[in-house]
Amino acid sequence: MNENRFASSFLVPGGLWLLALFVVPLIFLLAISFGHTDDLGEAIYGFELTNYERVFDADLIPVLLRSVGFALATVVICLLIGYPVAYYIAIYGGRWKNVLLALVVLPFFVNYLIRTYAWIAMLGDDGLVNGLFDSSIRFINTPYAVIGGLVYGFLAFMILPIFASLDNMDRSLIEAGKDLYGGPWQTFRHVTLPHSIQGVLAGSVLVFLPAVGDFVSASLLGGPEDVMVGNLIQQQFQASDNWPFGAALTVVMMAFLLIWMSLYLRSAAREARGEAV
Amino acid sequence: MSTEVAPSPGAPTGTARPARTKPPKDFDRPRFLKAFVGLFFLVLFVPIVLVILFSFNSSRSLQNFEGFSLRWYQEFFESESLRDSLIASVEIALITMVVATVLGTLLAYGLVRSRTRWSNAANVMMLVPLVTPEIVAGASALLLFTQIGLELSITTIILAHITFSISYVTVVVRARLASLGREVESAAMDLGATRWQTFRLVTLPALWPAVLAAGLLVFALSFDDFVLSFFTTGESPQPLPVRIWTQIRFGVRPTINAIGTFMLVISVLSIGLALLLPRLFGRKESGLKVLLGREAA
Repeated sequence: MNENRFASSFLVPGGLWLLALFVVPLIFLLAISFGHTDDLGEAIYGFELTNYERVFDADLIPVLLRSVGFALATVVICLLIGYPVAYYIAIYGGRWKNVLLALVVLPFFVNYLIRTYAWIAMLGDDGLVNGLFDSSIRFINTPYAVIGGLVYGFLAFMILPIFASLDNMDRSLIEAGKDLYGGPWQTFRHVTLPHSIQGVLAGSVLVFLPAVGDFVSASLLGGPEDVMVGNLIQQQFQASDNWPFGAALTVVMMAFLLIWMSLYLRSAAREARGEAV
Repeated sequence: MSTEVAPSPGAPTGTARPARTKPPKDFDRPRFLKAFVGLFFLVLFVPIVLVILFSFNSSRSLQNFEGFSLRWYQEFFESESLRDSLIASVEIALITMVVATVLGTLLAYGLVRSRTRWSNAANVMMLVPLVTPEIVAGASALLLFTQIGLELSITTIILAHITFSISYVTVVVRARLASLGREVESAAMDLGATRWQTFRLVTLPALWPAVLAAGLLVFALSFDDFVLSFFTTGESPQPLPVRIWTQIRFGVRPTINAIGTFMLVISVLSIGLALLLPRLFGRKESGLKVLLGREAA
């Protein structure tokens, strides 16, 4: 048996599983998004565009824009916090590098809900901080709290790829930049930043994608004015039981995210090919 | 500020800085950056430390710590429904770990060692779940299960979890596989081993650290997962994260801190094990690198 055929057979179990439980459900989702619900709330397949008309209804446009806006703000803040941290660990971490990296990853294995709840306990209207300072500052139920929750939730996705790209960089390049009389800013802009740009792009996509689809942060930390598209989807599938409309919302969101996904996947595929050769 | 980030040793700074005599790795360790990273870790860990601290609070208060007690842990373990949820969570994570690790490892081998049209398609199908928001996965899985008439239960949660864990295993194992030389495999085949024997006796043993690390990572991810479980769970028993959600939405009890701390311990144990395992196998590289799939670099 030649190697190609032998190895190809290993693709079968996992490939079939993903086909049946990932691709097929997405096709169901697409199909039902053109359907409607009957009087009992049962989803009926059909071919109509009413759900899509509802998605782009004037009422919902602010929700869609807000979701993208919150996610973009999250990416920017994650970058501003994550880049210096990744830089410090990669360049100055020394023998503590792995320990520091583990400390970055560790909190992200504390349940997302528990971490979000901890912020409510600290910053809620009668939480620790307001109790401590005898103040009544409103932190929770604001858009800032939602964005803060998203940052706290997905920051590791930004730090790890940036760290990986900086860690692979030849350190002597920075010294060379300085020896050539480049100032710190020039050295950073012409040497360090170009070397880490792949990590920055990967991190931005990895934060943006889950942030757009998130509903936990807006549910728990936001007010009624801070609803994101994830909340709408979740309500359609659970509370209001309008699956065709929920499916249409999901399809629109997924179509929008596919642009960014394909960018990321193309670079990931390139990397994998490079490694495998 | 920018001068603080990385002071240039060549520039006339005025202060006598013993720049060239120290080892290069900390020749200009900037103080501002160090303080920033310190602050970052503080903010990162304060909420978690508070949850752990208040899980031992003797009073009902979630604001004032009034003394040490284990009453919330006792309440957690004595509550039959919470215990059922804990057992359900562990069961889901264990089955997900085993099935996803087997499927993901086979897929990784197929992707690295074959070059066909099918392997390209399988590669894309494997990567997309990694970047798909969980809510899309949850909603579409819920739709599938109801359309084919499968009643929502622990089984449906496990099916959804496996689907989204395969890719993590494949990515981790594939990086390890790509870094292995093929000489040993060739040697085994020159000595008369069949392809299957070579896979079983040569390739698989070399992959074990990555396979185990990936499995433990999947255990932690599945044990912690909320969104997929939330969409695919039945009435009871519901996994712990779904119970936590219900509490936060409809009234928190102090047991939430005990549940959170207990879950943290389980996650940290499985991740810690995943990081340490490669060392137990007598390898020099760190487990973190195996998990991040960066061994090849």
